[in-house]
Parts: sequence; C-alpha cells; structure tokens
Amino acid sequence: MIARKWLLVLALLTPGLGLILLLIGMVVYIAIAQSFGFYALRGDSAFSTEFWSEVLGRKLFSKAVRYSIYVGVWSAVLSIALAYPLAIWLRKPFPGSIGIGAILKAPLLVHGLVAAFLFINVISYNGLLNQAMQGLGIWSEPRRLQNDSNAIGVLLLQTWKNMPFALLLLAGAVQSISEDVLDAARDMGAGSWARFRKVIAPLTVSGMQAAMVIIFIGALADFTFQTTVGPTNLQSMAQLMVSFKVRGDWHSAAVVGVSLMIIALVGSAVLAVVARAVMRGRIR
Amino acid sequence: MNHAWLNSMLMAMVVGIAFIWLAIPFTMAVLWSLVDPVEPWTADKLLPPTMSFYRWTDMWENSSLKSALVSSYTLAPSAAILALSLAFPTAYALGRISFPGRETAKLLCLLPLVVPPFITAIFFSSILFQLGLNTWRFGAIVFAHSILFLPYAIRILTVSFEQVRQDHIDAARDLGASPFARFRVAYLPALRPGISATLLIVFIQSIEEFAIAFIIGSPDIVTIPTLLYSALGQDFVRPNAAVLSLILVVPNVFLMLILERLMKTANPALLSGKG
Repeated sequence: MIARKWLLVLALLTPGLGLILLLIGMVVYIAIAQSFGFYALRGDSAFSTEFWSEVLGRKLFSKAVRYSIYVGVWSAVLSIALAYPLAIWLRKPFPGSIGIGAILKAPLLVHGLVAAFLFINVISYNGLLNQAMQGLGIWSEPRRLQNDSNAIGVLLLQTWKNMPFALLLLAGAVQSISEDVLDAARDMGAGSWARFRKVIAPLTVSGMQAAMVIIFIGALADFTFQTTVGPTNLQSMAQLMVSFKVRGDWHSAAVVGVSLMIIALVGSAVLAVVARAVMRGRIR
Repeated sequence: MNHAWLNSMLMAMVVGIAFIWLAIPFTMAVLWSLVDPVEPWTADKLLPPTMSFYRWTDMWENSSLKSALVSSYTLAPSAAILALSLAFPTAYALGRISFPGRETAKLLCLLPLVVPPFITAIFFSSILFQLGLNTWRFGAIVFAHSILFLPYAIRILTVSFEQVRQDHIDAARDLGASPFARFRVAYLPALRPGISATLLIVFIQSIEEFAIAFIIGSPDIVTIPTLLYSALGQDFVRPNAAVLSLILVVPNVFLMLILERLMKTANPALLSGKG
C-alpha cells in the first residue's frame, strides 16, 4: 500500500515537477558542461579549463561582473527602501488607501520594455524633462540623459518596476503583525522609530529577504533595461553572455552564464544574511 | 488632527508622483502614436500639430505587427493549456495527498523563477541544437513557456485543490457517484476559479515573455515584445514604438484586472454556498 501510494505520488508529480527538474537541470548541466569545453557545436568536445581562464582574465568580464552586481544590489536596496515606509503607511486602511495601493502597484502591470520606452520618451534630448528644466531656467540647454554612464536610468527603471513587487511582499508581512504587539510597544513608551526597529523590522525580515533576493537576481541578470537605456560603454553579464552566444562562442557564453548563476546564489545568500543582521539590529 | 493632515499630505504627494510616474508618460505614448507624418511633432509644440491614426494603419499594413500578433496570440493560449494540463496532476498530489517531502516538492516547483531567464533561454537553445531540434521554434517556445510558468500554475491549482471540501467528496461517494461524477460535483466547482486564473496568468506571462522568444524565436518567429525590442533599438521610430507599447500594455492591463477578480473569488465558501 505504501509503495503504491509512493508510485501514485511520483506519477502525479512527473508531468509538473518532473519536467521542471528535467528542463532546469538540463539547462544548468549543459551550461556547466559547455563552460568546460564539452558539447561543442563546432570542433572537438573535450575537457578544458581554457575557456574559464580566458574569460576570467578579460577586463570585459570583470567590468561586466562589477557592473551587474552594482545594478543588482542598488535596485534591491532602493526598491525596498522605498517600499518599507509605504507598506507601513498603508498598514491600516484609511479612506483612499485602496486607491493609493492600486496606483502604487500599477507598474506591475506594465511590461519592462514599455516602461523603457516611456522612460526614453521622458528623458530624450527633446523630451519632457529637458523641456521642463529649460522652462524653469535650471538648465540653459538640453542635456543628453539617455544611456548615462552611471546607469542611473537603469536603476530608476529597475526601481520603478520592482518597488511595487517589494511593496506587495512587505505589505503582506506588515499587515500580519497584530495590533496588540504594536500597542504594547507604544504603551511601553516606544516612539515610531523604536517601534520600527524593535517590532516591525524583526517581524517582517523574511518577507524583506524574499523581496531583496528576487529583485537582486532579476536586476543582476538584466538584459532589456541595460540594452535599451543602459550605458553604452558597459555590458551587463546577461548582455555579455548573449553577445558571446550570437558570435557562436558557446563555451565563453557558458562561462559567463555559470558565473552569473554562482554570483546570483552567493549574492542572494550574502544579501539575505546582511539584511537579517541589519534588521535584527546586530549591525548599527 | 495632525495625523489626518499628514495623511492627506502624503496622499497628495503619492498622487502627484503617480501623475509624473504614470499619467504623463502614458499620455505621451498615446500622443506619439497619433503623430501624423505630414508634420513632425517638434519640441516647441505642446501637442502634435496633426493627429491621425496613420501610424496605426501603416504599422498594421506594412510591418511585422500582424505576424507578431498572430504568433503571440497563438503561443500564449497553447502555453496556457499545456501548462494547465501539466500542472493538474502535480497540484492534485501537492494539494490533496500528504506525503513526506511535500514542502520540499512545493519549493522545488519554484526553480524556474530563480534561474535568470536569459540563462534558461540560451542553454535551452543549446540543448535544442544538440538534439538537432533548433528549427522547431514554435513548439520549443510553447514547451519552454509552459514549463517556465508552471510555478504559477502549480501554486494556484494546489491552493484550489486544498480548498475542495472532503465532506462534498464523501457525500458524492456515499450517494454512489462515479469518479467522474464526483470530480464534476465535488472538485470542479472549487477548482473553476483556479483553472481560469491559471490559464489567464500563463497567457499573460507568455504574451509578455521576452528572453525565450528573442533567443529561440529569432529570426523566424516575431512576438510583440521582440518586435517592440527591435523598435526600441536598431530601428527606433518613436511613433511606431508608441503604437507597439500600447498594443502590448492595454489588453494585458484588462486581463490582469480580470485575474485579480478571479483570485478573489477563489473561495470555497462562496462556491459551495455555506460558510
């Protein structure tokens, strides 16, 4: 009976979970194998660490790694820093709070490419922002804002797109804190900052970590924002991987892909641990 | 009173920011899509001097828009139906059978969401090359989309299966219902909103998906996002990009609003008529 039940469960899990594990497992396996010279689509397939040493030694690669981490970390931090106060503000319903919540979450419905287009429209050379700044007399002539070299445009877009997502997760976490706990803290004389540090922050840390990690991985691996509004003298890791692949250099693309996965994993773990330490007040 | 004042200040601020953040860019997109080519919209004019639907009809007749719409709106329902059928058995197991490791299985189902999409796209295309299936583009995209969005499908259907009431199943059995009749009277009413929500969410995600469609589909299959991407890059014509942006965004906003309603009605008490 037990064996029959297990067989049934396995049979039921195969089309769903089974296919997920098969596809993602194969993708990760092929990426690792190709980064070590196997599964060559041209030439010999043999074990080699040459691709790793070659790609890792290139300045292009280290610049892409630094740049992607910069975008990943800042996007996550900015989105969460903006979403936290909003989540706390919207914790208790008030007249109009549903409308405000809907407005804040609206970017979730807008495709990233559309967001990029809207953004380009606003910041273009003859765009609204330049016009407004000139009209106000702040700038004497239009400035080139598109593809800025500090990737402010990319960070703005990432925050625009991800803040609502962080808000969604944090609002859920903040709303689940019982009113009694906050009342108790208030009765004991805790001000709003103390209530945040000592009650809200520790109780919402797992929701915050989840938002942080998901936004970090998404922004770290960004391709579309980078290629549409990002700096032209820098490449993100995903962009570098695609450019290797387009040239038919699958092994180098695989090295970048595997590095991206490792950075995503290690980076997420580091961010989660740091976020927990900060929120629990161990680092001041 | 001080608190109420602060609240209204904050509300005014959010509405003001949302105006700059959402209303102005979208109004500009609509205006740009209406710019008639006989007279360009220059920086010194507040509104386009001549407005018409020329860009819309021109895009419809002379660009890949038609084929992009056909492929996007064929890929998406196919992926949605495939994802629903693949997720159904797994969701049943996760929602109605208790077995050791169930929570781990639920977590593993989220894997496609944490692997960066361009990694999945590139190395899935590498697998297709290894298998000699690299010309099988349409099927490959449908397959990849349905697996990539299985996490949503499994999650929603698992919750629906958990909400099926055991007393309804037992009552149906006691009254001598066949397995099919039991499914129809006890399971289906509780599952229906979950099924619609699953179809809808995979549909929306598939319409919007870029990495797989871009890497696997090019150059033969153009979808709306890949067409918009090229309109933003190598052949940037602002009014055309505006038309494409609106075509991508407007239908999906309505679909998302329907989805939100469906997710709210996924409540067994409402469906079975008792609390």
